[in-house]
Amino acid sequence: MQILIVEDESKLACALQQGLEEEGYSAAVALSGEEALQWFERNTPDLVLLDVMLSKRNGLSVLREFRRDGFQTPVLLLTALDSVEDRVLGLDAGADDYLVKPFAFPELLARVRALLRRTATTPQSVLELADLHMNLAGRTASRAGTALELTSREFDLLEYLMLNRGRVVSREMLTRDVWKETSRYTSLDNVIDVQVARLRRKIDDPYDLKLLHTVRGIGFVLREE
Amino acid sequence: MRLSFRSGNLRLRLTLWYGLAFSILLLLHIGVATYVHYRQLIAQAYHAANEETETVEGLMYQTPDGRVSLNEDYFNHPEVRFRLDRLFEVLAPDGTILYRNSKLNGTELGGKPFHNEGMGSYNERALKLSDGRNVLLVSHFHLLNGRPLILRLAFDQAPLLANVMRFFSVLLLLAPITVMVAVAVVYRVTSGALSPLSNMVRRAERITAERLSERLPVHDASDDLGNAARVFNGLLQRLEDSFSQLKRFTSDASHELRTPLASMRSIGEVSLQKNHSSEAYREVIASMLEEVRRLTHLVDSLLVISRADSGQIALRLSEFSCMDLVQEVVGVVGILAEDKHQTIRMTGNAGIEVRADRGILRQAILNLVDNAIKYSADDSEILVEVRKASEELTEISIVDCGPGIPVDEQSRIFDRFYRTDQGRSREQGGTGLGLSIAKWAVEVHSGTIGVRPGDGGGSCFFVRLPLNSSTSQLR
Repeated sequence: MQILIVEDESKLACALQQGLEEEGYSAAVALSGEEALQWFERNTPDLVLLDVMLSKRNGLSVLREFRRDGFQTPVLLLTALDSVEDRVLGLDAGADDYLVKPFAFPELLARVRALLRRTATTPQSVLELADLHMNLAGRTASRAGTALELTSREFDLLEYLMLNRGRVVSREMLTRDVWKETSRYTSLDNVIDVQVARLRRKIDDPYDLKLLHTVRGIGFVLREE
Repeated sequence: MRLSFRSGNLRLRLTLWYGLAFSILLLLHIGVATYVHYRQLIAQAYHAANEETETVEGLMYQTPDGRVSLNEDYFNHPEVRFRLDRLFEVLAPDGTILYRNSKLNGTELGGKPFHNEGMGSYNERALKLSDGRNVLLVSHFHLLNGRPLILRLAFDQAPLLANVMRFFSVLLLLAPITVMVAVAVVYRVTSGALSPLSNMVRRAERITAERLSERLPVHDASDDLGNAARVFNGLLQRLEDSFSQLKRFTSDASHELRTPLASMRSIGEVSLQKNHSSEAYREVIASMLEEVRRLTHLVDSLLVISRADSGQIALRLSEFSCMDLVQEVVGVVGILAEDKHQTIRMTGNAGIEVRADRGILRQAILNLVDNAIKYSADDSEILVEVRKASEELTEISIVDCGPGIPVDEQSRIFDRFYRTDQGRSREQGGTGLGLSIAKWAVEVHSGTIGVRPGDGGGSCFFVRLPLNSSTSQLR
């Protein structure tokens, strides 16, 4: 899977490149819109991460030209502009998704995975990690054969973590996807921390093998260590 | 036409326009006056001619040769001397000239008589003689000793026209003087009237963003310029207020941004001073990322506020139950209260509905409930009540068991970055913007937000919203 990063802030570009490569993608960097368009002539990426506010040429105009040339590759816009108009403008120009800077890297990874997922994943009804089982249809969960008494919110949280098991999820992702909070300025960090602590008490505390880990500064991950 | 507000220019323009209009009117006036005068003189001339004819009738006598003559003695009387100017002719109805006076110098006065000339009344007409003289002619039918005669008496128009011309030229000569005097007066009056304006302009030129406290001089508050100055001063006041608010906000925001920046810098610098284990570096990076989160949250809040200030946030209105909203909010942050063994009691009428942007209003209630949990002691109770404050007003109140807010701070807690307890609030992750965002969220719905002492010694924050808030009131 090849990803092209079009970003004129070289520090950010390199960080993204490194992060994506560590996740097993092959990533290339173009520091300007012109460079990106030249790159497209020789290569066909599977995904483009495009900065909107490129210094010389606006990312949207690059995107329009790119789409005019007939490229169907999914494009994820990275931008510091987050008003509704900016979003609409970006999507109208042919972007597939939109991520506002500064973003959490796990969130970028989640979006990248979603865009690269060519076929819709079949909805799973049963999730498993080590001895933790979840039955999504019946909304039941158990660990080591013992049923877990979860509140609705705890179940949603666990389900989200299970779907992303092995991957770090940020608080922003939880805020948006589990608490369904859409405004960026609403901070539910305290709520999330308390909720995670409670979930941990139920699914981890009685057992030796800990599954739910806090990655300080980023978020949480569900995995066997 | 573009009016420049350099006062001299405006003054000159006004004066010139006035002078032009005045001149045109004056000329029109002179023309009309001259014409009226001319018509009057002609009427007088005819009238004199009619009287003259009557006099002449009495002076006529028949000469033996069948002609007619006048008793010339009469003309020696001084009171009739003016009549020497008259031209006189007597004809028989068949056109035979019976008498012509010497002033005619033998020229015809009107030629052959027309049918019924002078019968019944006096015929008046203007006429040009063969020698070029323009005359006003009166004809009258008269029987002299039973003999029918036509009397024609005329005055030369020349002296009359000369009189009119004299009248006209006197008026015309006076016109420039009149115009000059009028223009001079207008110039002076305009200058006087506009001098406050030039003062205002001079003063306004000195007003810049740095010197917004300057005000325009108000000479006379009751006149137009005084009123204009007053209005402009009001505008300046509002500008100054928002400017200083903006300045304070910018400097406060910079200070707020400094705190996490300072932490990040120190954490980073200290960790690079010596070699550490990779585990220690992980800690450092994680700690820096936590500061970044704070910064991000702060910047996001600042963006919301700046958008709200510039009115960029469009409301998506819908009708919903206040109680629903409260329950939704408590559903989200209630876990924080559970963590502190606090109970949140919700009471009130579930049927009260408001029309508002649910997301924005939810933010306000969320911030208030979150604060109540934060500042209330463990094991205490928080009361959230929805009720009608009046026929048009619904009130959502949140009563906490916190330390309460001193009266002198109650009006300031909604200010941006205002904190009652600086260190503590920041430690709890506050940006110092929560209440000001709540205030905006309520006010954008034409509501009010405030705080009063609660029954349990804590605070009672209340949000009042119009029940049937008409959408027209909303931005």
